[in-house]
Amino acid sequence: MKATAEKLPDNQATDVDWDKCLAAYYEKPKSSLTWSGLEVKEVYTPEDLPSEKYKDICDPGTYPFTRGIHRNMFRGRYWTRREVIGMGSPQDTHDRSKLLVDEGGSGLNTIADIPYEMGLDADHPWAQSEVGLTGVCITNMYDMETMTADIPLDKVSWSLITASSVSVVTMAQYAAVAKKRGYDLKKLRGTIQNDPVHFRYCGFAPACPLDLSVKLGTDVIEYCTKEMPLWYYTTVNLYDLREQGITAPQEVAFGFLIARLYIDEMIRRGYKVDEFMQRFAFYVSCHIDIFEEVSKIRAARRIWARLMKENYGAQKTSSQQFRFAVHTAGCSLVPQQPLNNLIRIAYQALSAVLGGVQSLHCTSYDEPVCLPTENGHTQALRTQQILAYETGVTNVADPLGGSYYVENLTNRLEEEIYKIMAEVDKVGGMYEAIRTEWLDRVFEKEALARQKEIDDRDKILVGVNMFTTDQETTTPLGVQRISKVSVKKQIEMVKKLKKERNKSLWKEKILDLKAAADRRENVLPFMITATEAGATTGEMMGAVRLSFGYPYDPLEIIQAPF
Amino acid sequence: MKKKKDNKVRKIKVLVTKVGLDGHDRGAKVIASMLKEAGMEVVYLGMFMMPKDIVDAAIDEDVDVIGLSTLSGGHLVFTPQIVEEMKKGGLNDVRLVLGGVIPIEDVPTLKEMGVDAVFPAGSLTEPIVTYIRNHVRQ
Repeated sequence: MKATAEKLPDNQATDVDWDKCLAAYYEKPKSSLTWSGLEVKEVYTPEDLPSEKYKDICDPGTYPFTRGIHRNMFRGRYWTRREVIGMGSPQDTHDRSKLLVDEGGSGLNTIADIPYEMGLDADHPWAQSEVGLTGVCITNMYDMETMTADIPLDKVSWSLITASSVSVVTMAQYAAVAKKRGYDLKKLRGTIQNDPVHFRYCGFAPACPLDLSVKLGTDVIEYCTKEMPLWYYTTVNLYDLREQGITAPQEVAFGFLIARLYIDEMIRRGYKVDEFMQRFAFYVSCHIDIFEEVSKIRAARRIWARLMKENYGAQKTSSQQFRFAVHTAGCSLVPQQPLNNLIRIAYQALSAVLGGVQSLHCTSYDEPVCLPTENGHTQALRTQQILAYETGVTNVADPLGGSYYVENLTNRLEEEIYKIMAEVDKVGGMYEAIRTEWLDRVFEKEALARQKEIDDRDKILVGVNMFTTDQETTTPLGVQRISKVSVKKQIEMVKKLKKERNKSLWKEKILDLKAAADRRENVLPFMITATEAGATTGEMMGAVRLSFGYPYDPLEIIQAPF
Repeated sequence: MKKKKDNKVRKIKVLVTKVGLDGHDRGAKVIASMLKEAGMEVVYLGMFMMPKDIVDAAIDEDVDVIGLSTLSGGHLVFTPQIVEEMKKGGLNDVRLVLGGVIPIEDVPTLKEMGVDAVFPAGSLTEPIVTYIRNHVRQ
């Protein structure tokens, strides 16, 4: 730390630009647009919110749930404070998970790495140098046992973030381990991301063929509905869509239409919405425009309730409710002046809570640099804790409800969302929009527009296009590295287990799985048995892929061992 | 504009790619479009490329710059492999430029490995374009 300079007054002119200071004094905001580009007025009045309109808003806990899904919101229970964790080996991930619970986290939240999401075993030739770089790689039951070791599965709500078509494998591996440890699946609490359809847009297209994405995503929903009734079997991921650079209303519109693909498939399989919608949930982004994000969430709740009631005939309250977790917007963070990210994250977390969030992940300030360091992770958790315990935001449900501005913006975003949904209808619905790559083109166009906004300073990003400084030479709280030692050990263990397992039992169970897939049955129960018999992630995915006419290995490097 | 081989004036040619399994391609696609708009010729190689694939394409397409976008933390593993392939392929005049989620601490290491420039996430387009224009051998 530098001390102040011990200089005597002198008359030398400083190099401060005082004209700039004067200009800054009189400066006013250049833009009056929301982040998503909606023009807003300088003030909102009762004319913007006629009192008869309250029937569209209603009290928290009352249809259409604009103001929240519970009447007392956080007085009943805080949101779940859980940070996403996934790094190195299953053991590394296990250790960091326990650390954050020890620091006051109220749930677990582990994320798959790229090989796992692709459905590759840790010993796949393309996977070996990337295992553990962006998450955790679970190749077999042993890896899942290591990650969950000595954690009482009946006392934690565990969020498993495997988003691709491989989430069915994750669910099977978790269930197999829980069964082995003597837990009653019916009593387990937690969440699995399980939204393979959206994950093609995160660079995982080879692992997520469209038909297989809908089939396997729905298999998880169907299985959990019957066997794990407390488990949230999907969090349809609006967040990842938003990270492509799209606007707030696009995020909700596209996400809802993807959600409908799974619901429609469940209905095709003969279920009524009230039989399965109670555990349907969403994963939402909170970007930097506080009021727009709160309004987006409020609009989403209203649209979802109406969609479920009016289009699907849902009668139960729990089938109509839009339940969601928030991930603060990673793409809003930059490595320039990295401590600024702490402030961005805090505002985004505030909007999530003002919007009535059920579970929150605050991004770490070092998100645009590396995986979170221990300090970075803890700081993200502390951001949540300051919000929860110090600021008073938990006292009142939907504190922005009735704000002329927020109610007006909620209505306008609702209109925008309906408009975008209608556009997708025009191209033949979401399945067609995906199949024909219409949606890819929207994402590309929007991402380019976001870059230009920053280049042209239509949007300000402090440290990037305003108030810039020389690039730092170090990251303030250090850089998280992934130990090659623990990962190498994991890969060796995978190879060893493949050699040592009971070959005939393994083959029998993997062929059972393949046969079930051929019969187009729900594959999840067969994956549990196959996992118990030593089958791996890549083998189980491969069996199902072959059955649907896709190459065993999404990268087409290795051949089926059965 | 530059002259090369056949002495005809031609555009600066840039290969934009990802390496390994890292599929986060928003940045790669955006920079490919922005370089095109800046008047360069862009070969977008896309995802799931191994170092040899990248260098083979760079040779086939006779590019001036290889632009590698990376997010998943594999840059220290893959960069030396790409540099090695570039040496084998005799691409001594080709610039290797990295962009993406890269700890600033790694920049000196990457430069020692043979990377010409690193642009972290959040970079504006203009300095990238200027860098390429100034450093492609005229």
